[in-house]
Amino acid sequence: MNAQQLGENIKQRFAAKVIDFETLGSDQLYVTITPDSLVEVAEHLYQDQGCRYVINGGTDRRQQRDAFLITHFFAQDEEKIYIAVHTEVGADDPQVDSITPVIPAANWSERETRDMVGVVPVGHPDPRRLVLSDDWPEDLYPLRYDVAHDVHPPPAEGVAPERLEPPEGASVVPIGPFFPVLEEPAYFRVFVEGEQVVGADYRGFYSHRGIEKLGCSVLTYNQVPFIAERICGICGYVHSCSYCQAAERAAGIEVPDRAEYIRTIMLELERLESHTLWLGIAGHIIGFDTVLMQTWRMREPLMWLCEQITGNRKTYGMNLVGGVRRDIKPEIYGDLRGVIDKIGDEWAELAEAIPGDSTLMARLQGTGILTPEVARARGAAGPTARGSGLAIDVRVDHPYAAYDRVEVNKCVYDSCDNRARARVRLGGTIDSINIIHQALDDMPDGPIMAEIDEELPAGRQAMSAVEAPRGEVFHWVLTGAENRPERWRVRAPTYANLQCVPPMLVGNALADVPISIGSYDPCFSCTERMEVVDVNSGQVRVYTEEQFRAEYDQPGAK
Amino acid sequence: MITSKLKEAILSLRPGRVTLKYPFAPHDPEGDFRGYPELDTDKCIGCGACAAVCPARLIMIQDIDQNTRRMVRLLERCIFCGRCADVCPEDAITMTKHFELSTDSGREDMVAECEVFMATCQRCTRCYEPANPLDKIMEPGFRDDEIKRGGQDSPYEPIQSD
Ligand code: SF4
Ligand code: SF4
Repeated sequence: MNAQQLGENIKQRFAAKVIDFETLGSDQLYVTITPDSLVEVAEHLYQDQGCRYVINGGTDRRQQRDAFLITHFFAQDEEKIYIAVHTEVGADDPQVDSITPVIPAANWSERETRDMVGVVPVGHPDPRRLVLSDDWPEDLYPLRYDVAHDVHPPPAEGVAPERLEPPEGASVVPIGPFFPVLEEPAYFRVFVEGEQVVGADYRGFYSHRGIEKLGCSVLTYNQVPFIAERICGICGYVHSCSYCQAAERAAGIEVPDRAEYIRTIMLELERLESHTLWLGIAGHIIGFDTVLMQTWRMREPLMWLCEQITGNRKTYGMNLVGGVRRDIKPEIYGDLRGVIDKIGDEWAELAEAIPGDSTLMARLQGTGILTPEVARARGAAGPTARGSGLAIDVRVDHPYAAYDRVEVNKCVYDSCDNRARARVRLGGTIDSINIIHQALDDMPDGPIMAEIDEELPAGRQAMSAVEAPRGEVFHWVLTGAENRPERWRVRAPTYANLQCVPPMLVGNALADVPISIGSYDPCFSCTERMEVVDVNSGQVRVYTEEQFRAEYDQPGAK
Repeated sequence: MITSKLKEAILSLRPGRVTLKYPFAPHDPEGDFRGYPELDTDKCIGCGACAAVCPARLIMIQDIDQNTRRMVRLLERCIFCGRCADVCPEDAITMTKHFELSTDSGREDMVAECEVFMATCQRCTRCYEPANPLDKIMEPGFRDDEIKRGGQDSPYEPIQSD
């Protein structure tokens, strides 16, 4: 099945409810449906067509259409198709049916759309603020075009987040708000009975920087890649790559072959940097600092190599719309192969030593269980999904850059624990090295940047995904006038993976909490919320400050 | 178990000492490293191309009058991408290897200013021919700075030249 056929299927089934559909190549489908059919269509895609939920985004189109555009993105991994389901809601009544009751993975992003664009998801089980801070004014929606990119509402008093009382008899162990082992802002409060974790609450979104807004208001097409690269400090190249691919695809720009190979090599070098970094941190979390020292020692020559190729150890600054800025010169191939082979040899030794180390394994085995059902329902991506037996990998399922010309193994384990996620990364590292060798073998000569003679046409759209070290990075670009996107939507993999954390923590021993969180290799973005799991009912609730007060602020309950 | 520990020990012992003497001995960056972007004020013609492409939007252009264009670079925001150096038609900007940029004397150390005599210039932008239309100058003509105009909440005070 290709995108055209899938579109026809949907059209046939939902008839007049499908206003229109169009395709981009054989692998991207854009369906526009009536607002009242959103839930049925979403459920059909998720249940009957076996699609995976990616994210939701909202676009303020009041200037063009007097409406808000709500878009749900799906992926059909077996058929290699990305699907965007558009629906327009009138500007005078900005409401849309929530699909979270049928697809739990839409939980965060529907609320984000409400926060940022002001379209209310009706019937959302948890319709409260997610991204904006508690003192942000009620009716100021930052992603609307009539809100300036740099508004700073005055801070309000008395909106400090209220704490949740733990369940009867349990004690609270706070981890954060500065997450100590990953040195990032995230706040977990773990409720324990003795050693046993019985619940957890999470607050995040402390570092929301409004990057999408910048991309649609003040930056130009060629400035965005550099800001996109700063979405993440460890794997930023995936974002600039994904953005550029989306813009290129939308405008119909053919990227030269050599540039595609260079992107592939840089992406894999970044994966090596990220996985070696992760293994070190994971060792550090469980108190095995030898692993930290050794993996980071192994990693350092790689950083120097990247500096030689790109001009910087990290945040390479290589991508522009149309190709890459710097070539990988043939003189450096030898060094490159040498450095990665050295890592490969030592990595293999390490990967062999680790499984025999029973103290180490005891920390990883059977801890932090994430079932495949929870992983799919909450949209898990990358090693987190592959450690729970879900065989998804964008490099294979939706090849981009030169991945259709190299061989990639999907590294999948199904023990669903911290060990499985570690093994996915251990194996993935060796695989990266093989991919780089293949790419160097086949790399064609030629230009590295496409000739662009005209400005990008407005009103075109494209999706692009990249398999980041942590999972699928997804970008959607709707081109606009004035040399910048009209809308640029980004999903980082941790956005999905983090939604899997609270249910995973319950039932662990407290000592296993840091490594369980660390096993996702989380890259915390942002929430001004708390998520609470009730161990007895398994129900997840999220509280606003008022509700906390109402429920827990009785006299004597402080 | 024991063999695993032995393997790990060998792996750790083999490389010997790997730490560098830096900062007690200099450490030169590799190849085409992108460090502090240095401006040759004698070469700058005030075309504004660098300001148009800078992703950090740190190059402010202030047209003080018909004759004078003041370019202020708030380099504390610089992300060392080197785009300004790429597009400059006069090769006035060089990405140096200088990376030790922390300073104890306040942000002035990271602010670079130059004033360009524009004489009869109409600010038509024709002195900069972008190789790629996406890198065009977005705002021809006289202007004040984009960052400052963004709102009263801009963290930057207007910079006074002496
Ligand atoms: S190096 Fe990049 S961020 Fe720095 S001034 Fe030049 S264009 Fe701006
Ligand atoms: S691009 Fe070069 S010549 Fe033009 S304003 Fe910038 S530094 Fe001056």
